[in-house]
Amino acid sequence: MEISFWGVRGSIPAPGPATVRYGGNTSCVSLRPSGGGLIVLDCGTGARNLGMALMDGPFGQGRGEASILLSHAHWDHIQGFPFFVPLYQPGNKFHIYGGAQSSAMLEGILEGQMAPQYFPVQTLKNMGAGIDIAAIDEGKSIQMAGCAVRACTNPHGRAGALAFRIEDGARSVVYASDAGYGPGGPPPASIELYRGADVLIHDSTYTPDDGRRYADRGFSSVEDAVGAAIAGGVKRLVLFHYDQDYSDAEVDALCLRGRRLLDERGGRGIELTGAIEGATLTI
Amino acid sequence: MKVRFWGVRGSLPVPGPKTERYGGNTSCVEVRSASGTRVIVDAGTGIRKLGKELAEGEAGRTDVHLLISHTHWDHIQGLPYFSPLYQSGNKLSVYARKRDDLHLHAVFASQTEDPYFPVPFAEARAEIAFRELADAAKFEISDVKVACARLNHPYIATAYRLTADGASVVYVSDTAPFSDILFEDEFVERPPSPGAELPAKDKQKLAKMREGVVRLCEGADLVVYDTMFTANDYRRIPHYGHSRPSDAVDICREAGAKRLVLFHHAPERSDAEIDRILADTRALAEHEAVDLEVAAAYEGLDVEIGKG
Repeated sequence: MEISFWGVRGSIPAPGPATVRYGGNTSCVSLRPSGGGLIVLDCGTGARNLGMALMDGPFGQGRGEASILLSHAHWDHIQGFPFFVPLYQPGNKFHIYGGAQSSAMLEGILEGQMAPQYFPVQTLKNMGAGIDIAAIDEGKSIQMAGCAVRACTNPHGRAGALAFRIEDGARSVVYASDAGYGPGGPPPASIELYRGADVLIHDSTYTPDDGRRYADRGFSSVEDAVGAAIAGGVKRLVLFHYDQDYSDAEVDALCLRGRRLLDERGGRGIELTGAIEGATLTI
Repeated sequence: MKVRFWGVRGSLPVPGPKTERYGGNTSCVEVRSASGTRVIVDAGTGIRKLGKELAEGEAGRTDVHLLISHTHWDHIQGLPYFSPLYQSGNKLSVYARKRDDLHLHAVFASQTEDPYFPVPFAEARAEIAFRELADAAKFEISDVKVACARLNHPYIATAYRLTADGASVVYVSDTAPFSDILFEDEFVERPPSPGAELPAKDKQKLAKMREGVVRLCEGADLVVYDTMFTANDYRRIPHYGHSRPSDAVDICREAGAKRLVLFHHAPERSDAEIDRILADTRALAEHEAVDLEVAAAYEGLDVEIGKG
């Protein structure tokens, strides 16, 4: 399975010379399972570049099909959706999953972003591709692109955000962005979701100091990410969703800090990578 | 009067090495009169850094007047990240065109509410007021005189002329030229067929709108103009509602404006491409013997006009 990072930033895109290496686009990751197909995790502004890359293949001819998993509807996880070009190509099919009380409510949330006062396309119905939308039932495993997908809600400030586990045969990836666990660390259901994953892509918005300062915002520090990786016994931890004000040098330091914390706390065997926009990881 | 550009991009923010020089943040321009009146035009992501500066320099006594051209995302999406909103003592007045269907307050409030954003407007500590404007409104913000004109853009946008210290700057974004499509509230699904004649009523409306924009730009020291499209873009997708540099040059020539700033760069435009568009537009102005100074907006560009 190939994991590609299109946006690795939290809150709001951060253009400028200070973010050129890690990238300034907001959250978007794509998965290419071994059997083909495509799963997209979140639609921050990174989705624009993913969409343009996809147009070179079947999506450019209206023969593409993909599933889109949305962790939650904060702007940095959906604001790239209106700019995801394959959605405008008739013939393409998209299956969108996310957290909401009902599928109709999830559709309403996405329509809210397309409304005429905000966006000229005015409604999802003007986009062209076939779009179906389903609220996730956390108890159930869903099949997509030859993978089994499960979800579980992490605490995220006053809201919650879904974490996803995608199993491609014996390989597994977990995407856990926007998690603010509190002093007790991840809840048991989250640890269960992370258990033994080949790759855990985890919210690592802050340094430990900033994490304490902004504890009420519902994000993880690199220390929280390390704790989750060790509790879940994962093989590799990918730091993700960096604060918009962190420069490349500060993200470098965040990654070093993560490595040191893993080594100190019994996670010496866990690999650590900082997510970089444009990079692909193969497992 | 000082004009500073904090965000110069259209559609959506585009970080990355190709936009390092001109900048990837969406539309935001700050205007300050010599006496210190601060007017901000549009609240794209560029407003975040301006807000940080204000929050450090004048916390609790910031008085900002925010003019919104229209409420498409790239012109409002930075507002929830504008730090002065969250400090008590600050004041923010938001101005935008009155709509028939929605209160301005509701348009902004829903941007900050569950499930889209964690801190609702109701919890902002600054004192926030909304002023809904008529198409050709004229009003004053302390020593800054403001005049408005309607633009040709899906769901309608407003151009602003700000006059203070004996100088004027006009902000014209977003707009299509006033020739092939009349934009109102309806969704325009596809470009008009080539050579199609517009209904007389639409033609009249467009001519009147164009006249209003030319009059707004009359003798302006600086005109900031939506030039998102190349000639080729305009042939392909005129129904997206943006202008070419040549449209801006035409308006500036007729209005006798002194200086033009190309603005609202397309997200796909690299720094090198903007360099080229700027060179071409300067050549065009020279070729047409228009006495017009042309620049391309970049993040951090400061322009001083008039006294102060």
